[in-house]
Amino acid sequence: MEKYSLLRRAFLKKSALTCTGLMVGLAYEPKCSLAAKVENLEHLGIWIRITPDGKTTFIIPSSEMGQGVNTSLSMILADEMEADWQMIKTETAPVNSDYINPESNSGQITAGSSSVKGFWGPLRKAGAAVKLMLRQAAAQRWRIPVEECSARSGHIYRKNSSQKLSYGEIAEAAGKLDIPFDPPLKKSKDYNLIGRSVKRIDIPSKTNGSAQFGIDVRLPEMTYATICQSPVFGGEVMSYDEAAANKIRGVKKVVIIPNGIAVIADNTWRAKQGMEALNVKFNGGETKGLESKQIKDEFIKALDAEGKTNTEAFNVLDLEYEVPYLSQAALEPMNCTANITENSCEVWVPTQFQEACMDVAKEISELNEEQIKIYTTYIGGGFGRRAETDFVKQSLILSKELGKPVKVTWMREEDIQQGFYRPASMSRFQIGLNKDGFPVSWNNQLASPSILKRFFAPMAWFNVDPLSTEGADEIPYAIDDFNLDYTEVDSGVPVGFWHSVGSSFNAFFIESAIDESAHLAGHDPLLYRLKLLKGKARFQKVLNKVAEKSQWGRELPKGHGLGICLHKTRGSIAGAAIEVSTVNDLLKLHKAWIAIDCGKVINPNTIRAQMEGGFTFGLSATLGEKITIKDGRVEQSNFHDYPILRLKGAPDISVEIIESGEEIGGVGEVAVPLASPALANAIFSSSGKRIRSLPMSNHGIKIA
Amino acid sequence: MRLIIMPLLKINGTTHQLDVEDEMPLLWVLRDELGMTGTKFGCGIGQCGACTVHLNGEAVRSCILPVFSAQGKEIITIEGIGENNPVQKAWIEEQVPQCGYCISGQIMATSALLSKNLKPSESEIENKISNICRCGNYVRLRKAIRLSAKLIQKQGG
Repeated sequence: MEKYSLLRRAFLKKSALTCTGLMVGLAYEPKCSLAAKVENLEHLGIWIRITPDGKTTFIIPSSEMGQGVNTSLSMILADEMEADWQMIKTETAPVNSDYINPESNSGQITAGSSSVKGFWGPLRKAGAAVKLMLRQAAAQRWRIPVEECSARSGHIYRKNSSQKLSYGEIAEAAGKLDIPFDPPLKKSKDYNLIGRSVKRIDIPSKTNGSAQFGIDVRLPEMTYATICQSPVFGGEVMSYDEAAANKIRGVKKVVIIPNGIAVIADNTWRAKQGMEALNVKFNGGETKGLESKQIKDEFIKALDAEGKTNTEAFNVLDLEYEVPYLSQAALEPMNCTANITENSCEVWVPTQFQEACMDVAKEISELNEEQIKIYTTYIGGGFGRRAETDFVKQSLILSKELGKPVKVTWMREEDIQQGFYRPASMSRFQIGLNKDGFPVSWNNQLASPSILKRFFAPMAWFNVDPLSTEGADEIPYAIDDFNLDYTEVDSGVPVGFWHSVGSSFNAFFIESAIDESAHLAGHDPLLYRLKLLKGKARFQKVLNKVAEKSQWGRELPKGHGLGICLHKTRGSIAGAAIEVSTVNDLLKLHKAWIAIDCGKVINPNTIRAQMEGGFTFGLSATLGEKITIKDGRVEQSNFHDYPILRLKGAPDISVEIIESGEEIGGVGEVAVPLASPALANAIFSSSGKRIRSLPMSNHGIKIA
Repeated sequence: MRLIIMPLLKINGTTHQLDVEDEMPLLWVLRDELGMTGTKFGCGIGQCGACTVHLNGEAVRSCILPVFSAQGKEIITIEGIGENNPVQKAWIEEQVPQCGYCISGQIMATSALLSKNLKPSESEIENKISNICRCGNYVRLRKAIRLSAKLIQKQGG
């Protein structure tokens, strides 16, 4: 058994790599990231445009969805090129392979907390190259050596002289020069933006209603559509009353779409009225008759088939954990606007995945890439849901049908019921402890739907999915005998990417299990972890920082508990503690402390925001979110039965950033996985109640 | 043939005559008929607060407010609270927005609350500012509400 598991584990890693290679298709070739061909003289390579008045536009290769990427990537460019920060504007990049994140293995996409991590290198080089070109242009103008031209705050200064040239004055000349391949980069001690808390560029427009999200797109002659898809996944339209819909004022057309139907009108509300009048009925579907209970039985069957490992040890912990399907529930409902004409196709979309949008636009419009334009708007929350293109395809189909621009807006009910959900999962552990209470063997069996098999079928044939096992496959604790088995369970409920993906559940399983081990052994959960982290200085430092800030070990008020946890994901190490109190099952979250080591720090302001937000997102899921299936369809439909944490109940959070100087890590998703284990461990500490299945509301626990 | 009533709406000080059904929610009149897209659609059932506007100074959820019941009343939207509004300033100062989609609603709810009471208790704040922020910006939201009150006070004095 043990040997088999080890083999399986080795295979899992290897096949994960193989898969990456296959999914790449065309390998991304890192370059200086300054393409030679430029459209006009304002362009200095593909990242930077400077107009004669000095206004500087940065082309941002990632979607801005609240993570602050327009600001942090601009900081990298501006710092290296010594731009005047007041002159900076940003634009999101068009679809072009030059803008593919070096970290991406699926094309032009914003995902996996990889924007700053991936573009940190290329953008520094791009900024430095442009600075050198500007210096060279100034040197030519003044007929002096380039060494006598220095750059600062949007100007080139002449040595031993009061002469200066603004970037705007010499941008055109600089644009004619060759792009240097290997420009010198600034030393970190000379950074004037990187590492400082810079206010976000996009925030003012988000406080006065002027920021344009996808749902705000308005075009001449645009029509408004809404859709209804079979609530049983994969079902088809059986009947509908078109005449009734056509009687609704403003309704223009009823169109059958894959697994559903659309009503196009002259206003979103009228389209919705038309949809209600349509009284559409569906039949069939892959999940017809399915119940949540059956899915759980399938998980148990799979885990039973894996079998538990017989562990010979002084003490053995035998544990089982469970998490539900979850919806991303981004606040901006799914939407997309498309305009297909005979020889052009334009798409305005809040998307994380431009490349996939291009593919679906090519498919539906039957035009070629040069005729298609994808415009990325601001995104009102991504969390992985906007890496899908179902809503994009719908707007394309409808625009093609109508020959006019169509904006598709989903009602919230569609968003909750037509998801690509965070997979429900179950996980078992048999942990052998020695006589001192420390683990000598770690056997973990995970049953979970595969996210990746939708993109790469062989995954499921071999019971492999690195996204499902991420976070469980590599734990920081020193345990000699480590085994992980994964079994894919497919219930037919669509699964997809949800803020921190596999780590969102594996961190809960692992950090609960290690906490249970510590308590069983009668050890302090912090000291127990630290001991198992011997020689892992970065992990220890993070945990110690959390302990220091939360004053771990202090005497707590009666009924209070403090829980701690640690998790590495996206190349960053983070830990959290939360103080709670419970009176019966009424829970109060008093305060949380987070520490992150993300290697290098670009903008502390946005790192803190992502830590606060990600942890809160995780708390929301832990406390009350669940998607359950009844008679083949999702039971929840809107925020009244899919409750999102609000201000009331949300704790204060303090964040410590550790700049270790190690390789740069991601930030966006890193705090999400910490919330469930921190909270479960804190509740155990306060009440002795060990929560092994989520959400907490299933156990009667609610916010006081 | 039904008689179509043409509601008269006073929005941000300007009167609009509209040819819409009287049961159309104010949200869609603002967004689709008038192109005032700062007010957001989030849930359609008055749960999330993204669509919050002021009606005679009260914070209301425009996605469930039929346009006929807004007639003759003073409607203020995010576009109408002025560029230098202290609440907006506080949101920028505290760097509250993440994706930004819920922010119009948060700002409208907060400015309505503070227009009546510059020293709301913690529980008043939690009950009145019940807007959903899916990005989870509540740590900064709490600070920004307090800062807004301070800035308004300063402006008044």
